[in-house]
Amino acid sequence: MSRRVLVLAERDGRGVAEITFELLEAAARLAEDPSGVFVALPAADADEAEAAADGLPAAEILGVCGPALAAYSADGYAEAILQAREAAGAHCVLLPHTSIGWDTAPLAAARSGAAAATGATGLRWTDEGLFVSRKAFSGKFVQEVLLPGLPAVATVERGTFPARISGGAASFRVLPCRVRPEDLRSRLLEVREVESAGEVDLPAAEVVVAAGRGMGGPENLPLLEELAQALGGVVGASRAVTDAGWLPHDRQIGSSGATVSPKLYLACGISGAIQHLVGMRGARFVVAINKDPDAPIFGAADLGVVGDALEVLPALNEAIRKAR
Amino acid sequence: MLPAVALVKQVPDRNSAFRLAGDWIDESSLGYGMSDYDRSAVEAVLALRDAGLVSETAVVTAGPDEASQVLRTCLAMGADRGVHLVCDRRALADPFPVARALADAVRDLNPAVVTAGLVTEDSAHGQVGGLVAGLLGWSWASAVTAIRLREDVVEAERELENNRTAVVELRLPAVLAVQTGINTPRYASLRGIMASRRKPVRRVEPPTLRTPPEAAGLRRLTLRRPDRSAGAEILEGAPETVAEALVERIRSGAGIAFRGRGR
Ligand SMILES: Cc1cc2nc3c(=O)[nH]c(=O)nc-3n(C[C@H](O)[C@H](O)[C@H](O)COP(=O)(O)OP(=O)(O)OC[C@H]3O[C@@H](n4cnc5c(N)ncnc54)[C@H](O)[C@@H]3O)c2cc1C
Ligand SMILES: Nc1ncnc2c1ncn2[C@@H]1O[C@H](COP(=O)(O)O)[C@@H](O)[C@H]1O
Repeated sequence: MSRRVLVLAERDGRGVAEITFELLEAAARLAEDPSGVFVALPAADADEAEAAADGLPAAEILGVCGPALAAYSADGYAEAILQAREAAGAHCVLLPHTSIGWDTAPLAAARSGAAAATGATGLRWTDEGLFVSRKAFSGKFVQEVLLPGLPAVATVERGTFPARISGGAASFRVLPCRVRPEDLRSRLLEVREVESAGEVDLPAAEVVVAAGRGMGGPENLPLLEELAQALGGVVGASRAVTDAGWLPHDRQIGSSGATVSPKLYLACGISGAIQHLVGMRGARFVVAINKDPDAPIFGAADLGVVGDALEVLPALNEAIRKAR
Repeated sequence: MLPAVALVKQVPDRNSAFRLAGDWIDESSLGYGMSDYDRSAVEAVLALRDAGLVSETAVVTAGPDEASQVLRTCLAMGADRGVHLVCDRRALADPFPVARALADAVRDLNPAVVTAGLVTEDSAHGQVGGLVAGLLGWSWASAVTAIRLREDVVEAERELENNRTAVVELRLPAVLAVQTGINTPRYASLRGIMASRRKPVRRVEPPTLRTPPEAAGLRRLTLRRPDRSAGAEILEGAPETVAEALVERIRSGAGIAFRGRGR
């Protein structure tokens, strides 16, 4: 048989998470043959695994089952991956680049004796091994790296591949988990929803004016308040801004903040890190103001202004005053 | 009581000119410093020490001679000692040998807790802390937003997606990769800077970091500019000219009406 690729299935409250199907598409392309696609599905017991496995497009689903895998733990999941990898004889292991995948990957990689490639936005297999493209230097560059060793371990960024809906008549196999709950060094106590103060409704906003570190300091944010007022919108922010306390956390847009889908998104002094971009991908029209012509935000914008936001914004506010 | 250790890397300053020389970064155009993540990692161990929960704090870096600068910054912030694993900057490209060398150094320090940054601002692997934990067989958590150290466990909060937080309990020793925002890193005071000059920094030349890069697990690393074919149309000119064009395009492109003076 040709190449064998193992995918770690991630589950959320509703079943197998969407990103798993994206990874299955990546795996099918790398394996070149549906018979080479395997899934590692950690679960508390065989019933739970079998229920979750239903309908997954893969050749074989390996339910790694045991009470140690009833909840997520990095060491438990790393062990499950290693067990499934051995059983599948996988040449390549793909994990989602999520708080589960990036957490587990280095533990699994440490045991394989080579680093993983994280945050992959492109994968291709050559005679030499797996080539991975990924973002580096805050998205300013694309890094390409070769993983010559087997198995090659990579975490894959959300949205890199389309979801695979069908393919492969999955068979299901149970692997009793080798570790017991008392062997684990980490234990999940609880998962909490972070309450938001709810002062603004970012997801519903038609216009979002977003502040980044490039705004220089909280003293300059009234420029954005004025603009947001004039456009009937709200002020959002990058993580750099909320971390620094210029604006409260509930204004943060991105993978660890709000997801917005306004008619107009105006990014001011925001570099365009991938974790920010995923929160504003749904915007219909994106304008970016940034003094660095190479800022990645321009790759995600419709219209860009290369310049100092502290000069452009007062002029813009003035022009709007004149226009109405 | 055991010490705590923070892992810090010297990374290109955010405001440097990032240029390519061939298929790698033009290092001559870079200034260097410490990332927000690593500042938070250092602050986290200093807070544990100030609360009397660890005996002392050590900071460890692997990097070239100039990287001793970041250790000096940490000592000036208040860390007690430094360990410098001296190697060529090129030896840092592959996280695995770096983690192996760091793991050896960390083991010798016998800490209760090790902190790292969640990711570096340069190559952004997000792996070195986890590899160190994996190599030592210690506990591990990433994207940590709170640390509560107890007798023989540490309770940590982890940031998940969709505004959720996980609370995990880890046996000691544990390696924690901190997310920014976990704390507000302190600045070095003048007194701190003076005191730092008397603090010890141990220099080590780890043989594993002398390995030529070609023998490493991640090979043939190259960099290129992202494809910008789908990028933005750029407006140029003086702020006033650009502003007028923006007003027009916001109206036509986004279909936004402007709020009247009435408000
Ligand atoms: C797990 C994880 C989750 C994350 N979640 C999020 C998230 O939800 N949301 C988020 O935003 N980030 C998130 N981040 C952080 C993200 O990686 C970036 O660090 C962050 O988005 C950077 O914010 P910024 O663009 O404001 O700052 P920077 O990256 O520092 O960019 C500042 C920009 O301003 C420009 N600039 C400077 N001065 C001026 C001026 N006078 N005029 C115009 N432009 C100027 C600069 O050229 C630069 O491009 C997350 C990171 C991780 C690892
Ligand atoms: N050369 C290094 N020396 C010391 N610590 C490092 C080094 N490289 C990475 N680290 C630590 O590991 C974290 C994550 O790095 P990375 O895996 O490269 O993204 C950094 O924030 C540091 O805390």
